[in-house]
Amino acid sequence: MQGGAIREVAETVPLRFWFAFATLVVGIVLGWLTRIVARRVLRRVGVPGAIEGTAFERTAREFGTSTVGILAAIAGYFVFGIAVFAAVAVAEIQYVAQFWNAVAGFLPQVFFAAIVLIVGVLLGDKVELVVSERFRGVKLPQVGVLPLIAKYSVFYLAALIALGQVGVATGALIVLLAAYVFAIVFLGGIAFRHLLSAGAVGTYLLLNQPYTIGDEIRVGDVRGIVQEMDLFVTHIEADGEEYVLPNSKVFADGFVRIRS
Amino acid sequence: MTTLRDSLGSLVDDVDGLFLFSPSAAYYERFADADVDRVVIGAENGVDAASFVELPLGFDNVRDRIRFGIEGAMDHGFVAEGDTVVCAVSMFDEGGDADSLVRVRVEESMRSGIYDLFTDSRAEPGVIRDVFEVAIDLGKKGQKGKPVGALFVVGDAGKVMNKSRPLSYNPFEKSHVHVGDPIVNVMLKEFSRLDGAFIVSDSGKIVSAYRYLEPSAEGVDIPKGLGARHMAGGAITRDTNAIAIVLSESDGMVRAFKGGDLILEIDPEEY
Repeated sequence: MQGGAIREVAETVPLRFWFAFATLVVGIVLGWLTRIVARRVLRRVGVPGAIEGTAFERTAREFGTSTVGILAAIAGYFVFGIAVFAAVAVAEIQYVAQFWNAVAGFLPQVFFAAIVLIVGVLLGDKVELVVSERFRGVKLPQVGVLPLIAKYSVFYLAALIALGQVGVATGALIVLLAAYVFAIVFLGGIAFRHLLSAGAVGTYLLLNQPYTIGDEIRVGDVRGIVQEMDLFVTHIEADGEEYVLPNSKVFADGFVRIRS
Repeated sequence: MTTLRDSLGSLVDDVDGLFLFSPSAAYYERFADADVDRVVIGAENGVDAASFVELPLGFDNVRDRIRFGIEGAMDHGFVAEGDTVVCAVSMFDEGGDADSLVRVRVEESMRSGIYDLFTDSRAEPGVIRDVFEVAIDLGKKGQKGKPVGALFVVGDAGKVMNKSRPLSYNPFEKSHVHVGDPIVNVMLKEFSRLDGAFIVSDSGKIVSAYRYLEPSAEGVDIPKGLGARHMAGGAITRDTNAIAIVLSESDGMVRAFKGGDLILEIDPEEY
């Protein structure tokens, strides 16, 4: 009697709904698997170590999760979302399908935008950490600005990509970016031109070593023993005076090796 | 009846400074209310102390460690001659909180040059530390199990090169290698079977191996019983502003010379 009732219920629901339901279940399982695999892959690649100490990771920890957990969850929900669309398609629900089709085109972009944003925030934090680590020995208050600039540059780029992904007009922002990059390249080129030319000559001097530590050389009217040479400068010492000459000067003036 | 606390309390009576060697943050904070100046001596200033002396090597010999700390503090002006300081130092409990108290009177005659060796030499302190580490490591393990000797001349490389001659071709010619690089340390160990000295520049670049030093050994006073390697190392530091770090083949000790004098002696086995 009871078996008959269940069969009746099963038969009143059309077959396609059962398929849709199965698709949904498979989607849940696949999403769950994706989540686990993504988490393992991210761990194995060494993501937790690389992003340790970033602000995003710390915030995530405060909420009892981790960056890896969040990224894995997003990947999992993405797969589950696809399964939901597949289920709707299988079930052939007319009006709903029309609405969903519009959303379906848009949703992956939102997912990618979210991932780009998270990666951007992480990268920005990491860049800030690395830059400030680099300047840790310099105890100048002004230096504290550099890591922040680096961080917000990365944030800006990430936001730009994310907005572009969801189709927001970013023309004005791109113009701003171009101006910023131009300023960095142009002003940086002017500010560092001496270092750049000295460095270019330095690579030649270090690779070919026309003179080396211990040789006596004369550059212009400076004569002495080479004490040290690196990419940018050459130290020449004579009578207790150590001249530090930019390598570009060594090249511009030419040098004399004194053999005795 | 006097308790132990009363009797030993005199150790910390009328002190002008408290020297904490590599303290943990909690241990450092414990003395926040004490009415003496705290000086932290350690590998790094992990507790943001106002008075800090950097310890380049974890001197196993506590006497060397304290001496380095006091010389450094004198140099920074944290303490002056005639002050009495108490050093909280850990002797047995490696990396733990202090287990010993040492009361020291600061005197100018305490200067043995250990601090100067690191901070007032031509070469950078980090470079000197790296060379020490290579020498200590070499002394501990030897070359393929056999004891080896080695002679490193650090700093003032231009002058040292002019006071020495090559014994054979220089394996480090046209290479740009610096001490402290792990792979370079392996190279140095391999080359340590070569005769002659290694020459290291102020910035840590290995300029040459296989150098025969030709200083004038006149008036160099090194302890009796040390051989030609130590004599050459000691003498070159008198002729130039370099320092010499010598690993003895016979007794396995690492010795540092500056200005022709033996400054520091380290037993690699204790590291």
